[in-house]
Amino acid sequence: MEKYIIRDTYVQFNLEHGREPHSVYELAKLLNESEEAFYTHYASLKAVEKDVWLSKFQETLEQLHNDPVYAGYSSREKLLAFYFLWIQNLLKLRSFILQRKKGFSFRDLRADNLSTLRVAFHDYVNGLLREGEASNEVKERKYISDKYVHGFWIQLLFVLNYWIEDESSEFEQTDAAIEKAVNLSFKLVSENTFDTLLDFGKFVFQSKR
Amino acid sequence: MKEQHSIPTGKVERASKFVSTGLKIGGNYVKHYTKKILDPERDNSELHADNAEDIYATLSNLKGSALKVAQMLSMDKGMLPQAYVDKFSLAQYSAPPLSSPLVINTFMKTLGKTPQAMYDSFELQATNAASIGQVHKATKDGKKLAVKIQYPGVANSVSSDLKLVKPFAIRLVGLKEVEMDKYFDEIETKLLEETDYELEVRRSIELTTQCAHIPNLAFPVYYPEWSSSRIITMDWLEGLHLKEFLQTNPSKEIRNQIGQALWDFYDYQIHQLRKVHADPHPGNFLMRENGTLAIFDFGCIKEIPNGFYENYFALTDRSIYNDEKRVKEIYTELEMIHAEDSEKDVIFFSDLFKQMIDMLTLPFTQETFDFSNETYFNDIYAYMDYVSNLKEVKNSKVARGSRHSLYVNRTYFGLYSILSQLKAEVKTKREFSC
Repeated sequence: MEKYIIRDTYVQFNLEHGREPHSVYELAKLLNESEEAFYTHYASLKAVEKDVWLSKFQETLEQLHNDPVYAGYSSREKLLAFYFLWIQNLLKLRSFILQRKKGFSFRDLRADNLSTLRVAFHDYVNGLLREGEASNEVKERKYISDKYVHGFWIQLLFVLNYWIEDESSEFEQTDAAIEKAVNLSFKLVSENTFDTLLDFGKFVFQSKR
Repeated sequence: MKEQHSIPTGKVERASKFVSTGLKIGGNYVKHYTKKILDPERDNSELHADNAEDIYATLSNLKGSALKVAQMLSMDKGMLPQAYVDKFSLAQYSAPPLSSPLVINTFMKTLGKTPQAMYDSFELQATNAASIGQVHKATKDGKKLAVKIQYPGVANSVSSDLKLVKPFAIRLVGLKEVEMDKYFDEIETKLLEETDYELEVRRSIELTTQCAHIPNLAFPVYYPEWSSSRIITMDWLEGLHLKEFLQTNPSKEIRNQIGQALWDFYDYQIHQLRKVHADPHPGNFLMRENGTLAIFDFGCIKEIPNGFYENYFALTDRSIYNDEKRVKEIYTELEMIHAEDSEKDVIFFSDLFKQMIDMLTLPFTQETFDFSNETYFNDIYAYMDYVSNLKEVKNSKVARGSRHSLYVNRTYFGLYSILSQLKAEVKTKREFSC
């Protein structure tokens, strides 16, 4: 049995019953499998849930890497391309996600259901940031640079929440939100007024001594 | 609202010189326009720059979304004096261009293909930014194409942006809010139409086919199969914008030929089609040295209702003034005078409108009209100035002029303005059949 069949069946069960399966047994029955067979793939229903999120993310990255245009983008453009495609892919799960909205808060930064997605996303963004530092798109700042990823995770949750609430046609408001959020974040991590100010402050402080 | 009060009264007066057509017909808008027709340089630009600064500053306090409001205002360039436009355009330029991924995403979403797959070549970098979208160059089968892409969320923001501007407009024009509603309605409808690219493509094809027989005009071919609700693909047109064109010192014949083509284009639309390209701002026209004129951007089309048309143009027939009852009827129909006006007001405003219309429609009554004639525009300007300073006009709180006159007037002012800058002599005579 393939893992994706379990995920799809899990999502389908949620959609059709409006609730999560009560037990692995209930899901396994629908899969025509024994519980033991289920456990060779996933340790719990929670793990399936997490993997639904993670697999959509990985699917998106794979699509991006297969697109020759993507490789030529700057870090900012790569992240934009990621969000646009990710949101597009999530469309297939929209009903499921809207159901989840009641179950737990997407505003919760450490939302358990998204924990594996978070780890993978951190990895991805760290990669983009390293790339950006090499191309001078991102400014390396002592002590602060390492924290950038947390900001980007908040951004991802913002985009997700925005899309969940979005009622515009073709979700075009989400497109605008993504564009603006990513532009802002890259303005913040690039060399900006803050660095000049810091440099100036440092100079004044040092020359006093 | 606190912000409204923070415009010092002295400045409100100065700012009240900025008014839009029909918002107060016979008011300051006309003055501005005629002034601009006359000579753009002669604008009291310092004063406007000052006012623009104030308004801009106030707008930025308003909701922290000065950009959006400013964008909306500068979207409708025809309505604002140059200084405001320049100031607001600054805000517009600071809206960053769409990122390449968003451009591609828009293609994927609305056409299901990447631009690279659709065209032979596609420049991801935009060549121009327009008010609600940006233009990219592309090629396909050896043809040069212009691809217009709309910013996401524009349609959604139209209504809220207008709401933000409304208190200002009311303050500046000095009309009651209820009176303004009909004009705001009209503007909102038109702006929303402009965001509907599918409608624009349909209309462009319709209008360009209908006007194809007019000599010396060039229209782009539109490609509905490569267009969607947010994308328009059309031919890339060559030519120069008015200002650059004039710098090449075109001969009198060439200028007249272009002027004539422009006049014929509008004449045919208004009188035959009763639908008009109501956005005659110089950016929508490209002029070529062989005396042809390329026209594009049919996003703003005003359909002229028959009742309005008949009343509006009936006034160009001078003999009508012998029939006082009919004239009064027409003025009432056009909402220039109202049922509740006093006898004195009726006489006063009728007289005012008669003179104004006489002046503005002068070109219609002559075989040819020389738009380089400065005295003509001078006279209009002087008269408008006189009118706007009359206390009866200043004190009138009711709107005068039907909602349809807004875009029709705007069209004529735009047309006159271009023709006068072009210094063209044009055959203008036409027989009205009303």
